[in-house]
Amino acid sequence: MKRILVFFLSLSILSVISASIAPAQVQTRVRIIEASNLGSNIDSSLRDVTGEISSLFSFSSYRLLKEETVSLQKDLPVSIPVHPGRSLELTLIKQHRRGAEVRVKIKREGSDILNTQVRLTPGRTVSIGGPKHREGTILIALALL
Amino acid sequence: MRSECPSASKLLEKYFDQEVTPEERALVEDHLPDCPVCRMSLDSMQNLRSLIKNPVEKAAREENFPWVWEKIERGIQWKERQGFWDVLKSWLDVTPLLKKKVLIPAVAVAILILVTAPLLFKKTTSYPAMSVVEYVESETYNVMIYQPENEKVTVIWLFNGPEEEVSPS
Repeated sequence: MKRILVFFLSLSILSVISASIAPAQVQTRVRIIEASNLGSNIDSSLRDVTGEISSLFSFSSYRLLKEETVSLQKDLPVSIPVHPGRSLELTLIKQHRRGAEVRVKIKREGSDILNTQVRLTPGRTVSIGGPKHREGTILIALALL
Repeated sequence: MRSECPSASKLLEKYFDQEVTPEERALVEDHLPDCPVCRMSLDSMQNLRSLIKNPVEKAAREENFPWVWEKIERGIQWKERQGFWDVLKSWLDVTPLLKKKVLIPAVAVAILILVTAPLLFKKTTSYPAMSVVEYVESETYNVMIYQPENEKVTVIWLFNGPEEEVSPS
């Protein structure tokens, strides 16, 4: 009886300690969207984003070009190709109880064209847009999972 | 009339109290028929005893002392009553197995609480929901930040760059 109790006690303490020293990870959803005024097609998977930004933009069409879920670890950059010659680099800076601070870089041919740091919180989307893509504009939507 | 008989006065009280020897008893009883003084003294003693004894015995028979018994019972119960620690100690001392069953888990839980409490109640920074963009810089674009108060979206918009950009409405 005593040995079993000691075993479970040790197991509990070890699990708590390992959980506390394990590297923190943040699951981030990245969506690359082409917004344009060609047609009125809105991808069904973008309803949540378009519902939020439709009051800001006059685009009539939103098309999902790419979607990825990346697992961010502290100070470990993760690079995602956006479209030819451009890439998105995400780095977890700090993790909080209700979110995370993430450094976002957009690179073109190796040099930074945008360097920003944002606080991502559950239920909130940060969209980066502006660069032209074909007949529309690129929007990069970042959100915590 | 003499008030006291010199021959038996010393023995009369002992006789009355039944403390005489058989020889003395015989002596007094032989003397009493012939001595009216001693008979009167003996009668006086009996009358006096009756006056004192009867009321006392009657009072003792009729009197009830409940408060005395209550006081005595309380005293007995107070001596028999055990303290909290005595009860706890006796409970733990019922069997060594029971002592292990109680003490070891209690120590285990206490250690677990001590280990996990600092982790569970670690102070973390909480930021206001609206301050989303910490900083932003771009050497090739002008940057504008849209952060409507009532919307759950923040937009960082790049424009006037080397390529043609589309501005928001």
